[in-house]
Parts: sequence; structure tokens; C-alpha cells
Amino acid sequence: MIPLNWYLALSAIVFSIGLYGLMTHKNGIRMLMCVELMLNSANINLVAFSSYNDDMTGQVFALFSIALAAAEAAIGFAILMSIYRMRDMIDVDKLNILRW
Amino acid sequence: MAMENLAFLIPLLPALAFVLTFFLGKKLPSGGAIIPIIAIAISCVISLSITAGLLANPGHVVTQSVHWFAILNLGILIDPLAAVMLSMVSFVSLLIHIYAVGYMSHDPAKPRYFAETALFTAAMLGLILSDNILQLFVCWELVGLSSYLLIGFWFHKPGAASAAKKAFLTTRIGDVMFLAGIVLLFADIFAILEGKLPEGVYLLQFEEIFKFIPELVAINSTILGMEVSHLTIVTLLFFGGAVGKSGQFPLHVWLPDAMEGPTTVSALIHAATMVTAGVYLVARTFPMFLAAPGTLMVVAMLGAFTALFAATMGIVMNDLKRVLAFSTISQLGYMVLGLGLGAVIGAEAVGVSMFHLINHAFFKALLFLCAGSVIHAVGTHDMRQLGGVGKVMPITFATMTAAALALAGFGIPGTSIGFSGFLSKDPIIEYAYVFATETGNWMPYLFAITAAFLTSLYIFRLIFMTFTGKPRTDYGGHESPSSMTIPLAILGVLAVIFGALTRGTFMKFIESNFEHLDMNALAELGGYHLGPHGHEPLLILWMPLIVAVAGLVIAYLIYNKRVIDMSRIVSSENPVYKLLYNRYYQHQIFVEIFSVKIIYEGLALASFYSDKMLDWLVNGTSTFLIEAGDSLRKFQTGVIQDYAAAVVAGVGLLVILVKLIMEVF
Repeated sequence: MIPLNWYLALSAIVFSIGLYGLMTHKNGIRMLMCVELMLNSANINLVAFSSYNDDMTGQVFALFSIALAAAEAAIGFAILMSIYRMRDMIDVDKLNILRW
Repeated sequence: MAMENLAFLIPLLPALAFVLTFFLGKKLPSGGAIIPIIAIAISCVISLSITAGLLANPGHVVTQSVHWFAILNLGILIDPLAAVMLSMVSFVSLLIHIYAVGYMSHDPAKPRYFAETALFTAAMLGLILSDNILQLFVCWELVGLSSYLLIGFWFHKPGAASAAKKAFLTTRIGDVMFLAGIVLLFADIFAILEGKLPEGVYLLQFEEIFKFIPELVAINSTILGMEVSHLTIVTLLFFGGAVGKSGQFPLHVWLPDAMEGPTTVSALIHAATMVTAGVYLVARTFPMFLAAPGTLMVVAMLGAFTALFAATMGIVMNDLKRVLAFSTISQLGYMVLGLGLGAVIGAEAVGVSMFHLINHAFFKALLFLCAGSVIHAVGTHDMRQLGGVGKVMPITFATMTAAALALAGFGIPGTSIGFSGFLSKDPIIEYAYVFATETGNWMPYLFAITAAFLTSLYIFRLIFMTFTGKPRTDYGGHESPSSMTIPLAILGVLAVIFGALTRGTFMKFIESNFEHLDMNALAELGGYHLGPHGHEPLLILWMPLIVAVAGLVIAYLIYNKRVIDMSRIVSSENPVYKLLYNRYYQHQIFVEIFSVKIIYEGLALASFYSDKMLDWLVNGTSTFLIEAGDSLRKFQTGVIQDYAAAVVAGVGLLVILVKLIMEVF
């Protein structure tokens, strides 16, 4: 059986990749994908602990969070689509008309 | 008698109709007019049956009362005085509502119109049957509010909006005086009782107030070096309220401008509600006035002056409704004069004054509704553009002529034959003569008789200019629908016969109102005696009719036969004409001298304080906040990476902090 720590390590790696991507990219779609990575790293943790503690609650919770992520992604991409139609680009740092 | 128990419904039903019409009117045919009409019809039936009961048994006064708070109550008092007013107001208001169905048929805001007129009627009915002065004051203010709403009914017209404001502000001066009078009265009664309030007695009820008259006479204050009894001050303040509401000089200025509302509203204001409230207030508290002869003298002089003053302006106005407005002011002057004559004739003063009030309500409502009928048909109220309307509108012409004869006062002196206005205005003028012989003050009589002449002149000028001769412009026109002409016919019959039918009973009925109070004792408190007065010489008896006929003949010669070319007299060079046409420049004096010079200049000091000190405080606060926000907003970079970094850094800090705390403990 694979030890719990390995799962936690995987989760930490995935989270870090996501965080790195979020901090360095300006493309809206990439950033959204990085956010998804971070969210899924948390899901890995939930499932891992659930499996090791013989408690199904964690897995159910993970399912909820996946559903939520899907909804979030749908909205996020819809917003990015409409931004693209208006501006012909999706660089979030150029969307600054409301800034001081 | 079951009807008496329903007395509380008299004002409540129209008030309910106000709410219903306001919210449901749009969904009902003709703007929900049916709701107030039914409500007021029921009020009218209850009022009339109570009046009939009182006529059969004058001592049987209807009272109802519920505890409100502390020493105040909400109550109903229907004595003969209130009963006739209730009947008149509900009846005239009912006819005006029926008429308005036709008159307002083209207006899109009908629900609002009918709701507001229902509120107006409800407030007036509530005012009349109040059994205490505070409740009367509350209704008094409600009447003021509804008149404001209705005068400004077409608020999109600047003229109507400013007329409504003017009416509200002008009557407010009177209202404040009235309120001051109530406060002073209450404070005095409190002082008389030395703070010990009797159990189960509501001190502001009229009957309770009257019991304190002897003590009130005894309290004196020195004002401008004169020793004045508090009763005189209180009654003067009450009269101040009446001056505002009943359009007496110098607060009459709002009344001619109130023409900006729909004509039906003018009819309501001038005949049934609003302006009669002031006269009614004085009549209601008449025992107090009787013990204050100084106030009665002011009342008589001001009434006579207003009667003449307004009549002089009535003869030069070219607007159909404006002539009638000045006529109302003038006739109210007669009513106030009638009350003021109480110093000589006692409670009879209330009788003649109320008699004139009721008769005036009928013929003035009729005059306005006729004018409305003309305006509705031809679309203008400038008499110079009319002429010959009598041919196309025979019913309107006939009823308006009847009303004009009633207003001018045609009848045979010494008998009960005559138009209603004659039978009530004549006694006032005769009593003014008695007043002159007893006190040596001829001013009220001379003013009243001159005003009677001018009344006849201006009303027949109106009739001849509008209804006879050839049309001066091509105005088309047709007779009005029957919903308008039927109320005209009913009022027309009343204007002709009401006075003759009720003359004897009416006066006695009203006088029985004060039977339980000893009028002579009250007069002696005021330091004079009420004695029997003799009969007037024949010439005095015939004088009012003579001047009325003279007015008619002169109006006929000038405006029908045109023996004098008026265009030579009526010109902007004639100083008398200019003075009258500009209404003695009173508006200009009020606005330019009182408002601009005195009030604005007085405000200069206040504005210095507010500019230099308050503004600094207010502006300083806002400047500080704006600058603080300016520097703080730099934190919001708008770059998502920055926010993400801040979140991560925050989480890191939190982890370190938790770790540290765990180690410490």
C-alpha cells in the first residue's frame, strides 16, 4: 500500500505548480487552469485522508468540490469568452479601466 | 335613533374612500369616482337625518368620545351648528363629486383626483364634528394639506405648483397663530387649575374650555404698554387662524391663485370646504369671542374691510374664475363681519353669519360649477374672448343667472321673499347699521353697503360679458353633459329657494346652539351689555336692494348696451385701474419687500455663519476622507498576481504564527 505521505507530497507538488502558474501567467485561461490545479490538489488530500481513515465523508466532499469547480470553470470561461469578443485578447492585466 | 350611533362614520367613510380610490381607482371605471360618491352620499344621509332629529328636538346633542391619551380624547359633538355645516358640506361635496365625473372625464389622473377630493371632504367633516380644539386643529391641518395637493393637482404646470405652495405657506401663517392660541389657552387652564387635573375630564373639549372663560378674562399681560386679558390674546390668535383659512385681508392672497387647480376643486375650496373652516372656528368658539369685545371689534372691522377690498378687485378681473375668487373673499368678509357684530347682537351674530355661509355655499358652488361648465365647453376662461355663450348653453346661463341674483342679493326687504343671498346678506348689513348706531362706528356699515353695490356690479359684468352679446372669438362650444347640468339644476333651485324656505327656523336653530350658555353674563365679563335693538328706518331696510339694482343697471348699460366705451377707462395709463388690476401690488409687496429685502437680508448673517464656519467643518471632513482614500487605494493594484501573492503570504504568515503559538504553550 502506498504510504499517505506520498499522496500528500503529490498534492503539495500539484498545488505548487498551480500557484506558480497563477503567479507567472497573464493569460486568463492559463490562470483559470492553474486555479483548477490548486483546487484538485486539495481534492487529492481529501480523498487520501478519506481512504486512510476509512471514512467516506472526504470522498463525498471531494465530489461536491469537483461539481463546484465545474460550475466555476463554466462561468470563468464564459466571462473570458466575452472579454475576448470585446478586446480580442484575454490578458487580465490589461483589463484595468476600473483601476485608479 | 340609530343614525346618531353612526355619526363617527361621517368623516370615516370619505377617509376610507380616499384609501380605496387611491389604490384601486385605476382598475375601476371613470377612475373609481363611484367610491367617494357612495361614501359621501352615506355621510350626507347620516348628516341630514341627524339634523332632522336635532330640528325636532334641539336639546338632543349627539356626543361620542373615546379616550386618546392623557387628558385628550377623540370625540364627536353634533349640535345644531355642526349639524347644518355637516349637511351642507357633505351635500355640496356630493354634488361636486358627481359633477366632476363629467368635468374630469378627459383627465388621465382621475384616481388621484377623486382620492384627494375624498380626503379633503373627510378632513372638513372631521373638523366640523370635533368636540375638542386639538382634534379640530389636526383636521384643520389635513384640510390645508389636501388643498395644497388639489391646487397643485396639475403640478407639471409651474403656475399650479407655485399657487399650491403659496396657498400652503400663506395659510401656514394663520395655522401657526391658531396653534399658538391653543398652546396659550392650555397653559392658562393649567395655571388656573394649579396643575391639579380633575379626573375624567378632557380639558380641551369646547364645553370645558367655555367654563374657564371667567378665569381667562382675569389673567392679564402687558403687551406694548397695554393691559390685555389672555382671553383677548387667545381669541385674536384663533381669529388669526381664521384669517388665513378664510382668506381675510391680508392673508387672502392665496385664494385667487388657487384657481390654478381644476374648477371643481375651486368649487370645493370656495363653497364647501377650506374657506368656511375659519368662519366655523370663530362660530364654534363664539362664547370666548363674546367675552372679548376687543377681538370682536377687530373681527368686525377686518371683515368689513375685506368685503370691500376684495369687491373692488373683482370688478377689473378678466378671468371668469378670478372674479369669482374675489367674490368669495368678499362674501367671507361679510360672514366675518356678521360674527364681529356679536358685540351688539349676541348669539344672533352666529345665526346670520352661518346662514350666509350656507347660502353662500350653495350659490358659490353653483357659480363655480357654471363657470366650469363654460370652461369645459369653450376651453377658455378669459371673458374678453367670450360673449353670447348664453345661446349655446341655456341651462348654464339660467342657473348662473340665478346664482348671480342670489349673490347680488335681490329680494323684497321686510319679507321672506328673495333669493337666498339676499335673505342672509341683508340682515348682516342691517345689523351693521345697528352696530353703527349703538357704537358710533360707521365704518363696517359703509364698507358693507359699498361692497354690496360692487358685488352686484362685478357679478353682472361677468354675466353680461360672458353670456350676452355677440361672440368675440370663434370658440365653438355646446351644452355640458347631464352629469354636469343636473348638479347645476339642483344647486340652482337651492340658491333660489333655500333662504326663503329656512329663514326663520335656521336662525333659531343655530341660536339654540348656545342656549345653555348665558350670553348676557359672557357679555358682562367683556364689560358691556347686550340690549334689545330697535328697528331700522325704511331707507336702511331698502338700501341693500337699491345698491344691488344700481349695480345691475350700471353693468347692463356698460357691458351690454355699451353706453360708455370701457376701452378708454381700462388702459394701462389709468392709475386706479392699474392699482386694482395688480391687486394693490400686494403680491409684489409680499415678495419683494418681505421676502427679498427683509428675510433675505436677515439671512445674510446666518449665511456668513454657515459659509465660513459650518462649511469649513463639513468640507474639511470630506477633504480629509477623500485624501485618505486617495492614498489608500494604491494598495488596490488591479493585478491579480499581486492579490494571489498577498493571499499566499498571508497564509504563510498564519502558519508561522500558529506554529509559534503552539510552541509557546
